[in-house]
Amino acid sequence: MPQKSVLIPWRPVTSVVLLLLVWELAARAKLTPPLFLPPFSVVADQLCRSIADGSLTNDLALSLARAFGGLLVGTATGVACGLVMSRSRFAEWLIDPFVALGFPAPKIAFLPIFILWFGIGSSSKILLVAFACIFPVVIGTYNAARSVGRLFVWSALSLGSNRRSIFFHVILPACYPRIFTTFRIAVPVALITTFTAEMVAGGGGMGATLIYSQRFFESPTVFAYIVVMMCVGLVLDSALLSFQRRFLGWAEN
Amino acid sequence: MLIRPEAVSAGAARLIGRMSPLVLFIALWYGACSSGLVNSEFLPTPTKVAAALADLVSGGEIARNLFVTLFRAAVGLALGSICGIWIGLMMARSERFKAYVTPIVGGTYSLPKSALIPLFALWFGIGNVTAIAAVFLACLLPMIVNTYHGVVTTPKVLVWSAQALGTTDRELPSQVLLRSAMPDIFTGLRIALGFSFVLAISTEMIASTSGIGKLIFLYGENGTYDYMFAAIACIVAVAFVADRVTLLGMHRLLRWHESAAADYERRRL
Amino acid sequence: MLNIVRPKIEIRRVSKAYASDHGPVLALRDTDLAVGEGEFVSIVGPSGCGKSTLLYIVGGFLDADGDVIIDEKAIMGPGTDRGIVFQEYALFPWLTVEDNIGYGLDRQHVSATDRKKIIDRLIGVIGLTGFEKRYPRELSGGMKQRVAIARTLACDPAILLLDEPFGALDAQTREIMQDELLRIWLETQKTVLLVTHDVTEAVYLSNRICIMSARPGQIIEQFTVDLDRTRPREELVLSPDFNTIRNKVWLSVRRQALAAGQQNVDPS
Repeated sequence: MPQKSVLIPWRPVTSVVLLLLVWELAARAKLTPPLFLPPFSVVADQLCRSIADGSLTNDLALSLARAFGGLLVGTATGVACGLVMSRSRFAEWLIDPFVALGFPAPKIAFLPIFILWFGIGSSSKILLVAFACIFPVVIGTYNAARSVGRLFVWSALSLGSNRRSIFFHVILPACYPRIFTTFRIAVPVALITTFTAEMVAGGGGMGATLIYSQRFFESPTVFAYIVVMMCVGLVLDSALLSFQRRFLGWAEN
Repeated sequence: MLIRPEAVSAGAARLIGRMSPLVLFIALWYGACSSGLVNSEFLPTPTKVAAALADLVSGGEIARNLFVTLFRAAVGLALGSICGIWIGLMMARSERFKAYVTPIVGGTYSLPKSALIPLFALWFGIGNVTAIAAVFLACLLPMIVNTYHGVVTTPKVLVWSAQALGTTDRELPSQVLLRSAMPDIFTGLRIALGFSFVLAISTEMIASTSGIGKLIFLYGENGTYDYMFAAIACIVAVAFVADRVTLLGMHRLLRWHESAAADYERRRL
Repeated sequence: MLNIVRPKIEIRRVSKAYASDHGPVLALRDTDLAVGEGEFVSIVGPSGCGKSTLLYIVGGFLDADGDVIIDEKAIMGPGTDRGIVFQEYALFPWLTVEDNIGYGLDRQHVSATDRKKIIDRLIGVIGLTGFEKRYPRELSGGMKQRVAIARTLACDPAILLLDEPFGALDAQTREIMQDELLRIWLETQKTVLLVTHDVTEAVYLSNRICIMSARPGQIIEQFTVDLDRTRPREELVLSPDFNTIRNKVWLSVRRQALAAGQQNVDPS
């Protein structure tokens, strides 16, 4: 989403710089209580300290490990289900009501069930993340597989392919771009679910530290962690976007 | 339009057919519990959960907390949608506005909104404002993005025709741009609706004293798992119904849209 | 060039340049044209010569160098004095047929009774009685274009601008629509500026044809068409005087098309 231009994009940079300036000045001028809005410089300082003593890196590593673990499990299961559903009417009939019910539901509401079954450690969080990611991935994959232009399939048939090879050599490759897009959508879902689960249930990670800092009124840490979460999201999305452009650029999208 | 009786019974039969896997699921659940396959500590039987649900509903417990949660979600959704539509419209109409606003919008895109809940708790305490603020921010982004896309893809010839027919610049957004963007705006609304539930529940679990999220959390802490499952089932049902109602409303209001007919066939998912 | 006293539309030294990756591209260069009141003028030329651009400039949708004077006043953007009909129909998909037609009337806050009268009359004129409550997506191409024309006529503009209005229609529907347009023009005596790449259409409808050169566009030739349009189509199109003019015009356009290095002229 951020613009990328060869020259320095002075308008976007201006608004960000302006924002930081206003933040710093407003905080220093005590327009707001320091508890509510610590100056940017103090936040930056806390950020450096957290990195230096390793607490931030530990938390980040733990959260990312959980998020990715859940993302992988959820995406793999979701893609498999979506593909199976697209090929088999029985599978579609069987799985559809669960997907239809689960998709609009707030998955975080299921956290207590996962905690009950798997404790407050990492496994409950990984499984919750997987659970949250499955639904959009199933739907996206299903739609992608169903919408492969029938002209592609007919061409393949007339060139002598059988049903099975059509699936693996025509439908599947045609789906890759849309499945990847679905994966990209699942990444923020995974991150949000991980952080929220950590905030609710504790057990280490970015979310847990964030909520502890809030409870002990350590606002610089709160702000610092939020900034880090934002950067993580940005970096991940840019990385995925450039990957998509490089390897899946052939799709018309 | 008369509703043909055959159509109704055919529709009902289809619905039952679609729901039968759920019935199967409940049967399996019951079987797993009663056969001792699963420890009933961790998975109450369907009958116990149903009883708990009945108790909650009759006792008004559910209704009260549900109302609080829905109130927070609805207010945040409404505010977020109105602001999101306005910002998206402005971004589509003014390159300058868009250039200044994009980095801020882009920044919030990568930020998990639930991360702001502790911050809002710090600022606003543990009441409605925190939840509404979180929901507001979460709903803002999909509405901005979708409105922007909808307005920007309005065909030039529509705008020109409207201008040749006497539409002033002030009337243009309401008469042409936003109407052309309606399908996209509704898509955004459906996404925002999902977010509103997630953020409301998240806030309640983290920093609140009321609401369904808090209720679920409390039952979990107390060990009354049948009530916990019942409350979760409740919110899942409510979210589902809200989504379906929005979808229905969408199809009625977008009757004129090219794909409206096609969409209606694909009622599932 | 014809000498028209007090022209309705005067296009004076209009030039239009677009920015592109390879520097500015000149779409129109010093185009001059005068259109008298009640005239039916067609602009014909090869693809990409800028004829649509010229129409959009007259409509006030695009800025350009030079002047466009209507009724001795320079134009300042789009206006209800110049109705426009596009090849893509450009009907508002969220409005029914009657609401589309009534759109301009609504902007002028015309009373409900007057609105109904005008809409009913126009629906009759275009022959779509019974379709008032339909949405554009339920209509065929020809029907959509009729609604588009009715919508423009509802505001009773003095000038009609038509940008390849029948280009998207099949041959039979096109001929029917041409007859409709001719009828409307003969009845209302509006000033019409038509852009088309169909030479036969231009000769059939207009009393003056302007040939536009390849890009950058300029009007390099004009033909007066003096045919008796009360004759039925079968007689008119097959008559020798029709074909003499048609052949001359076609040849002129063809030369331009070849000059532009294209073979896109429709020899129909």
